[in-house]
Amino acid sequence: MKDVETRPRRYEWIVILAILLASLPLILGFSLLMLSSFSREMVTNLDLSSFHFTLENWINVFQGKLATTGGIRTNILKITFNTLVVALGVSGVVTFISALAGYSLSRIDFRGRKHMMVLLLILHAFPGVALIVGVYLLYRLTFPQNPDVIRLYSFFYVILARAALEIPMSVWLMKGFFDTIPWEFEWSGIIDGASRIKVWWKIMLPLIKPGILAVALFAFLAGWQDIIYVRTFLIDQTLATFIEANIEAEYSHMPLIAAAGTLYLLPTIIFFLTAQQILLQGYSGGIKG
Amino acid sequence: MNKTSREKFAALSFFLSPMILMVVLFYLVPLFMTIYISFTRMRNWNVEKYITEFVGVYNYQRLFYMFQHDPTFKAVILTTVVFVGITLIINVFGGLALALATFFISEKPASTFRLLWLLPRMSPIAVYSLVWYYFFHGSEIGTLNSILMKLGIISQPIPWGQIVPWGAWSIIIFVNGLVGVSFGMIVFTSALNQIPKELVIAARVDGASAWEISRKILIPLMKWHFLYVLTWQFLSLLTTYPHIFLLVQWDLVNRDYGTTLALYVFNTAFGRGEQDQGLAAAAAVILSIMGIIGGYVTLKVLQFEKMMKRPRGDF
Repeated sequence: MKDVETRPRRYEWIVILAILLASLPLILGFSLLMLSSFSREMVTNLDLSSFHFTLENWINVFQGKLATTGGIRTNILKITFNTLVVALGVSGVVTFISALAGYSLSRIDFRGRKHMMVLLLILHAFPGVALIVGVYLLYRLTFPQNPDVIRLYSFFYVILARAALEIPMSVWLMKGFFDTIPWEFEWSGIIDGASRIKVWWKIMLPLIKPGILAVALFAFLAGWQDIIYVRTFLIDQTLATFIEANIEAEYSHMPLIAAAGTLYLLPTIIFFLTAQQILLQGYSGGIKG
Repeated sequence: MNKTSREKFAALSFFLSPMILMVVLFYLVPLFMTIYISFTRMRNWNVEKYITEFVGVYNYQRLFYMFQHDPTFKAVILTTVVFVGITLIINVFGGLALALATFFISEKPASTFRLLWLLPRMSPIAVYSLVWYYFFHGSEIGTLNSILMKLGIISQPIPWGQIVPWGAWSIIIFVNGLVGVSFGMIVFTSALNQIPKELVIAARVDGASAWEISRKILIPLMKWHFLYVLTWQFLSLLTTYPHIFLLVQWDLVNRDYGTTLALYVFNTAFGRGEQDQGLAAAAAVILSIMGIIGGYVTLKVLQFEKMMKRPRGDF
């Protein structure tokens, strides 16, 4: 709040210190995890005496040498790729559907529009995850007979099912972005005789590129971070289920799991460093509705 | 239908049908399927055998019986109540405190802190659980034990999560609380930014302190947002379980006193060992009813309909 301050900031440092203190477990937890991935043993202390630098954990992770799997090599690149497929799939589905629906809820007046928006809000608050028993039964009933496509189908299904959880919020978010575009842009297109679909594609979508990027980013992170849906529906392993399965590592191999965890955390960190404004604005935009 | 309304209908189905399809497929159909399963003897996902074996309200009777007599299920219900109650308070007031604190400091450290508190929400759930697994680990490898032993406060490592009930409760409340705080923080921050700056400047000129400004001006202006965060967080806490799931799975916290009703549903349907989908579905239905009623009440209380203006200039 730069422009409002009228006197020297005597208290600012006290406030900053207080927040820092409250954030300490958070900072400590995440930095110790990352630090441990470069260490021969887990770094659990503040004095760093247990830190001995090594790249061994990372090399072992990439070579798939895991003590817990008893000499069997795990293809971590394949696992990372699986995670990426799910995340990109969720991101694509969510972005596409919410760009379509967000436009019509923002710009077209039709009967039932209000009810639809209320329904979306309830679904946003609603226990989507509580329905997972039903979602799984649907999965079982639609399971393909042909064994060749089973794995493919499990990817397809987990992407759609996980995307569905993000749809209500993303549609609202996208509607909010469409709301900010002045009507004049659209009128000019409609007067020229273009259909609504053409106006949407040619005029509106280019104008809300930042909004599309924000929705795509959020949906990507939602798909990337998921564990419940991938472990329930997906046949192949992702980084989440890999970490879940290998946690009972002996003490000496804990840093190895820390390295796998840090690898898994990497996209989140990259987004944090490059897309801060999108993350902060996107969230508040979506919540304002 | 005349030409324009047919065109409008065509455009609407183009824009809305994918979303409607998703809502029907992954909300409506599963809701009915969950209700259906709750009236069958479904177990171990033996769909072929049990899908038509109706047992009436047997699963609901079992739930009610367990609620009265089964100590494990009683622990789950108690945990749910304590977990939702305390985490809700932490989330709402923690979020408010963070939003106000970052409001009064300069922009750069403020957005750094806001971003830092988004980290729990944005990081992969498995990594987030891993962080706290190492932090609260019951042996000397755990960060908390290690620090306390170094300071000489304890001499033996303590298995925090196995202390029932409060050890287990503290951990799940702490871990989920950190995730939830960011929601309140973001809502309150965006509300604070919409408050006219003149009000704050005028108060400052009159010599009011940051605390007085918060209490007398800012907080009263955020009543609606306060209700919004309170009700929304209540609903999401009632039904959330991904952030607790691994802590229980990895035995970091006690199974009975680390499991909320939502997690109980999941573990009963998909967990290790004997699975009982009929029972899980019955519990899920009860949870869904609470969620739907809660959601509806929320909308009425918050008067969301007023926010939904009709699109102008439509033809």
